[in-house]
Amino acid sequence: MNSYYLINLLIYAAVDAMACLGLSQQFGIAGVTNFGFIIFQAAGGYAAAVLAMPSDSANGHFQSYIGGWHLPFPLPWLGAAVVGGALALPFTFLVGRRLRGDFAAVGLLVTAVLVNLLVTNYVPLLNGDAGISLIPEPLQGVLNAATSGYQWAFTAVAVILCAGVYLLVRRLTESPYGRTLRAMRDNDTVADSLGKDLRSLRTGVLVTGGAIAGLSGGILVSYITTWSPAAWGYAETVVLFAAVIIGGAGNHRGAVLGAVLVPVGFEEVTRFIPSSNNLPPNLIPSLEWVAIGLLIVIFLWFRPQGILPERKRAIALPAVAADVQSGADDPQELTQPTLARRSGAGSAGPDASPVVLRADGLTREFGGVRAVSDVSLTVRRGTLTGLIGPNGAGKSTLLAMLAGTLPPTSGTISCLGQDVTALPAFRRARVGLVRTFQLASEFKRLTVLENLLSAVPGNRGDSLAGAIRGRRYWGSDELAAIATAEALLRRFGLLEVAGQYAGDLSGGQRRLVEIMRALMTEPTVLLLDEPMAGVHPNLARRIGRELVALCRDGMTVLMVEHELAIMDEFCDPVIVMAEGTVLAEGTMAELRARTEVVEAYLVG
Amino acid sequence: MSLFLASLGFGLVTASVLAIAAVGFTLQFGVTDVLNLAYGAVMIAGAFIAYVINNAGLSVWVGLPVAVAVCSGGSVALNSLVYTPFQRRGASPITMVIVSLGVTLIIEFGVQAVAGGTSVSYHLAQGPTLQAGGLILTAVQLGVIALSLVVMAGVHGLLRYTKLGKAMRATAANRMLARTCGIRTGRVITLTWALTGALCGLAGVVFGIDSGSFDATSTDVFLVLILAAVFLGGPGQAYGAMLGAAVIGIATEVSAAFIPADYKYVIAFVILLVMLGIRPAGLLGARA
Amino acid sequence: MSAESSTAGLALRAENVTAGYGGDPVIRGITVSADPAEIVSLVGPNGSGKSTLLKSLAGIVRVAPGRVLVGGADLTNTAPEEIARAGVGYVPQVDDVFGPLTVRENLEMGGYLLRRSEVAGRTERVLTVFPRLAGMLTRPAGRLSGGERKMLAMARVLMTEPGVFLLDEPTANLAPKVAAELLGEHVRQLAADGATVLIVEQRARAVLAISDRTYVLGGGEVRMSGTPAELAASPDFVESFLGGGRPRV
Repeated sequence: MNSYYLINLLIYAAVDAMACLGLSQQFGIAGVTNFGFIIFQAAGGYAAAVLAMPSDSANGHFQSYIGGWHLPFPLPWLGAAVVGGALALPFTFLVGRRLRGDFAAVGLLVTAVLVNLLVTNYVPLLNGDAGISLIPEPLQGVLNAATSGYQWAFTAVAVILCAGVYLLVRRLTESPYGRTLRAMRDNDTVADSLGKDLRSLRTGVLVTGGAIAGLSGGILVSYITTWSPAAWGYAETVVLFAAVIIGGAGNHRGAVLGAVLVPVGFEEVTRFIPSSNNLPPNLIPSLEWVAIGLLIVIFLWFRPQGILPERKRAIALPAVAADVQSGADDPQELTQPTLARRSGAGSAGPDASPVVLRADGLTREFGGVRAVSDVSLTVRRGTLTGLIGPNGAGKSTLLAMLAGTLPPTSGTISCLGQDVTALPAFRRARVGLVRTFQLASEFKRLTVLENLLSAVPGNRGDSLAGAIRGRRYWGSDELAAIATAEALLRRFGLLEVAGQYAGDLSGGQRRLVEIMRALMTEPTVLLLDEPMAGVHPNLARRIGRELVALCRDGMTVLMVEHELAIMDEFCDPVIVMAEGTVLAEGTMAELRARTEVVEAYLVG
Repeated sequence: MSLFLASLGFGLVTASVLAIAAVGFTLQFGVTDVLNLAYGAVMIAGAFIAYVINNAGLSVWVGLPVAVAVCSGGSVALNSLVYTPFQRRGASPITMVIVSLGVTLIIEFGVQAVAGGTSVSYHLAQGPTLQAGGLILTAVQLGVIALSLVVMAGVHGLLRYTKLGKAMRATAANRMLARTCGIRTGRVITLTWALTGALCGLAGVVFGIDSGSFDATSTDVFLVLILAAVFLGGPGQAYGAMLGAAVIGIATEVSAAFIPADYKYVIAFVILLVMLGIRPAGLLGARA
Repeated sequence: MSAESSTAGLALRAENVTAGYGGDPVIRGITVSADPAEIVSLVGPNGSGKSTLLKSLAGIVRVAPGRVLVGGADLTNTAPEEIARAGVGYVPQVDDVFGPLTVRENLEMGGYLLRRSEVAGRTERVLTVFPRLAGMLTRPAGRLSGGERKMLAMARVLMTEPGVFLLDEPTANLAPKVAAELLGEHVRQLAADGATVLIVEQRARAVLAISDRTYVLGGGEVRMSGTPAELAASPDFVESFLGGGRPRV
């Protein structure tokens, strides 16, 4: 085998693998479908080119382009990565919005085509359709680029950089930050309610992916010494997506495999097909495209997870006696100090205990209809308050306003004396005001343990910077979180399913996971939206008892429920709503005796 | 001024082709909730079918109904064999977009594999040139405009005055409710794809006529114009697509009178991105 | 409807129906029945499965196991469009009209199964029942007020004069006076003309006033059943309605 051929193969493999790793991080891990991905690689390529090239007047303007500062290696490659990352910032506008997934994807695809069109036609920018050529190779002035020694060295550098990107991406993904990205992918609304800043997370992913793509472009450009719009049309994006899907989205080895099979593989296959003068010259390339299209559809149908699917993360639990099952009637002391941390020590009697959540004159209108009308309520520390009422009474709307999912039309909300009315949901979670959801909202492709760990606030590894610093930096925070999670799992009797995907559990088990996950945020006030819906009565009673125990230790709970037997047994006080206003408050027994409450239910 | 009028004339022709295409695209989306990005590829397949017939010695106008029929059947197959199974599995909208991109590659480059990479043209006499109020158009161009107007009238008549048309609109508005009225929505959807597939084929041939010369990848940019027209009017809104086509068609051609012709499509791209960013439901859609 | 027209009502029966939306079932082992010229109501707290039961009778939600019989014919898990052809008219709780279509077109869709010659006559008849709609035939349904939409939804389902009416909370979000009129006049008339009416309602008192029989649902099961008089006399009624009761064996 000709060594030039091998060098070519390795460099293309390294560059494509790098690009696929960046794309897999965005698409597979974080759930950000960036159909404009190719632009980042293109920008990196052009950046490296114009940084390395001499000024365009030097050669009599036979090419025209911006820049031309003739910078030495490795500055062009650094510039490529920086430009790729910086270019991501305007894109966050299109990706962050609440736009339907397929509309956003089309917008990004169109943007890629538009940028290609502009660069092709506006010649002074980057020499238009003809592209930039004669790009200097690294250290060209010092070394002889034509020797095979240089070529092999270049190859080695490319492969090493690719390996470096692999390690970086893996480090980011196998950290609490990576877990948060996957949680955002699985259910972004819930991640938001647990305190994750979605916009900053998506921006971070776009910037890192963009920088990686830019670097890959810079390396490629330095090797082939030319770069033109033909090299980065929308079709190239489709190829990269095909590679990631086929190799396995969300799996780093899958991304590398995909890069080897698709862009590289298809390129190589053509060499081995005997050329014949009878065949039209474009037939093989056309059939290659047809094959890629077929592979995309076939894989998405038969094996959407790819050849190397995302691995289940097995996290070792501390070596405690696993045969000690919980489910006993008396609560464990283990979790109490941690969970009650934010609530403060010492709880006085219920009447004298301080107000932790207050709403004043809350109103919410939907197009002229008042779902909630001038509601004021106070919730005291250590209480398990029930919120009941017939359908359309406004309970869910009220809960959503308290949690920050829905802004009130008027009125204020304060938590622990602090006005939180203007705070979005994720910030309220950080203050200690956390909610659960009515419909199934577990992170399906995270294990039960990961679901719990994802909610822990203040883990140092739960940020881009923290993740980069590695396990040594966030390891102890993680171990503490695992211990807390393990205690909760034991308490609620789900220890043996800790390693299963949350999406595979039964309905009642999934409910428990959601509640435990909310508890992991160490909430001051926990807002539960119909936690017992569809749950077996025994399990519902068990949940009720646990909640009572937690409230005894200083947590506060406000719970919307329909199963009034639960209210009977566990809640005091109970607030009744009807037609958008508060009707009455008291114990369930007291309320049943009041005619207006009975009427509200029977009249509707 | 004459340059303006000339480009206005081109704009009317482009708008006519675009209208036929955009109405088909938007009705497909309305009734199935899928952005069928393979639409452009089916168009060019239709254009090539007419070319093959034309090249064999027959007039393009004979090839046209053949192309229409093939594209109609092909579109029905596409929906039944690809989109519906994926949707029944609960595929996300993103997955559907990627699937439609895959189908685009299959059809577009399948055509290229068979027909070759070089550009082709129809053997079609343009006919006498006619002048009206400063506009200068050939008989064929006027024929295209007239054809488009007839098709728009036909679509209007179908949607407003026939039982099938109303059933199509009902199915697009609320499929389950339509079923409880006794509407066999499965059949309505199949008929919708047959009809819009026919529009797609027709648009493809007319595109070929208007373009002069075309190759397998010629509709790539045209698809963006279709999307711009659809999103300007509102996805799923047939009248919105007509309005959007008129605006986009005329705007792109007229802009060529003022800015370098290479950039004339930029205005369509910008309109599309602005609509997606500000008002994805379109001008005629329900308020955001 | 005027006195001359009378609908041949169809007996409706759900036998041991268990159904849900994938995952755990929402209703379990429910048996209810309704006969021609009868108004049978389903009441109970939220989450008790009333809407789900209606949807499984209309063919919208999958039943497994259980049987649904309409006029004696087994229509379990039949497609909604075929159930409609069997003579069942369904008014959902939300999304009950075709927003982009005009009032007249909504009625035409209601009359989809009629022969073309019949549509005009039926439309006239339906408009005598709901005269307010006559003044807004060209208005898109999405622009109607809540009460007007409900009227349109009822009018639409009246077009085919079905033998069975399945009504899911028809008075939700209506002003009390309008709700009273809807129940007391229009719904009552349906049964008076011979149809079978199965109605889900939150406004228990109001619907009990017009019901021949009532089922009280709770937690996905039937908790109690009987005539309104029997239920009112029972001390468990209020309790089971407010969730305190236990399932009767």
